[in-house]
Amino acid sequence: MSEDAHRWLEQYPELGTGPISTEPYISSQWYEREKEKIFRKTWLCVGRADEIPKAGDYKVKKLAAADTSVILIRGKDGQIRAFHNACAHRGNTVVTETDEETFGGGKAAIVTCRFHGWVYDAEGRLKQVPSEKRFYDCFSKADNGLAPVHCDSWEGFIFVNVAAEPETSLLDYLGDYARHFAGYPFEALDYGFTYRTYLDCNWKVAHDAFAEAYHVDTIHAGSFPNVFSTGLQNVKLMGPHRSCAVCLTLGAKPTPIAAIANGLARASLVSRSAETMLPPSINPDKRGDFAFELSVLFPNTLIHVSEGIWFTHQFWPMAHNRTLWEGRYYVKAPKTCSERWATEHAMTLQRNAWLEDTATMEDTQRAMQSRAKLFQHLQDDEILIRHGAVIVDRFVNA
Amino acid sequence: MRERLCASGDLPEGEVIQVDLGDGRMLAVYRLEGDVFATDDLCSHGDASLADGFIENGEIVCPYHMGRFDIRTGEATGAPCSVAIGTYRVQECDGEIVLIS
Repeated sequence: MSEDAHRWLEQYPELGTGPISTEPYISSQWYEREKEKIFRKTWLCVGRADEIPKAGDYKVKKLAAADTSVILIRGKDGQIRAFHNACAHRGNTVVTETDEETFGGGKAAIVTCRFHGWVYDAEGRLKQVPSEKRFYDCFSKADNGLAPVHCDSWEGFIFVNVAAEPETSLLDYLGDYARHFAGYPFEALDYGFTYRTYLDCNWKVAHDAFAEAYHVDTIHAGSFPNVFSTGLQNVKLMGPHRSCAVCLTLGAKPTPIAAIANGLARASLVSRSAETMLPPSINPDKRGDFAFELSVLFPNTLIHVSEGIWFTHQFWPMAHNRTLWEGRYYVKAPKTCSERWATEHAMTLQRNAWLEDTATMEDTQRAMQSRAKLFQHLQDDEILIRHGAVIVDRFVNA
Repeated sequence: MRERLCASGDLPEGEVIQVDLGDGRMLAVYRLEGDVFATDDLCSHGDASLADGFIENGEIVCPYHMGRFDIRTGEATGAPCSVAIGTYRVQECDGEIVLIS
């Protein structure tokens, strides 16, 4: 082992080296505290502004970990606002939700509760109550708009914070993380796919599986053979958030088909590429083997960026041992048939890799719940997991 | 009497727009299968602008409660709407849509 085997410990000694308890992964009481101290207090990334492009478009997102669901609606003024999906009348959901995310809209820019027809506009005002005269004098439409949720956006990502008064603004919450990624062309790379599934594991089990590259040589031996072995580079801890570079092994040989695809379109992470669109803070040393930046936007959003590709993972807790995982992958829209083929090839490989990733998670949870092992042992290149555990502990015990 | 409502180009096929006559009257003006029509803009059930609704099978669907009116006759054709809305005679000539009264 090289002498820098403990380089991240040297850079971030405050994180320590000890084993990490499995209790926060398997305790329902701990999860209740995470809901209260993390998911009801921090800014959560709930979508992209281009998912609701027109005035009146809305998206409703369930947030089980914050015990609510939020309506994100674009007003006639173009602004996106967020409200709890709860009617002022008798508490029904205003928009009937058909899935984790429910989309709708119309140029009227309103939502109507289907129970008794109460109508709210995109500013949350109660616009109409059928048979309003039958309500008593103490009832006032002006006092019974939708309950607002704090909402802001950064680089096209929409965030909400369900706290009555967030402790910080979104930009202060993001801090150096926002500066680290500022300028990356997220919006221009808008062609992609989304996978979503429920996993019987704690949200941190899912987070941890994606927050290191140590597993690539074993788990991804099939889809990405012998490509990552230089470890993490440029680990950067930024408040509760974290980021690092994952690098390719120079000279690794792609399969013949992958080599053709890589030559036709920049859609796979596992290929060399010139750097034209990365902000200066990413791969600052211009390493030739840089593959992608792997980052965690606390608490539950991972954003990965590379030349011509970005993707996110989100882990939405449903219970202490159940998680909704959403993976979204974005590239530049292909212009030719061959680019389209190459893009589909890359996406299929990525899907396979994600299947390999998610396949470990339920096993990990079951084994942890046996309590046969009460601690996890992390090596130096698993520093993002260690940082995550320290930050979760800090929030929960704050 | 002829009163200009809008330019022909303001109203694509299958669309509805709101036109304010400036005297307290508000119309919803439609282009449907090549012909132009006009009705009251205010729904007879709620206080919605029908021009904010959408057209389906020759009917305007109110955005508030999904009630319906026949665009040609003003008849209420879908609950919770039950009271007809007014219709108006309109024509298209020389690149303009005009109200005939």
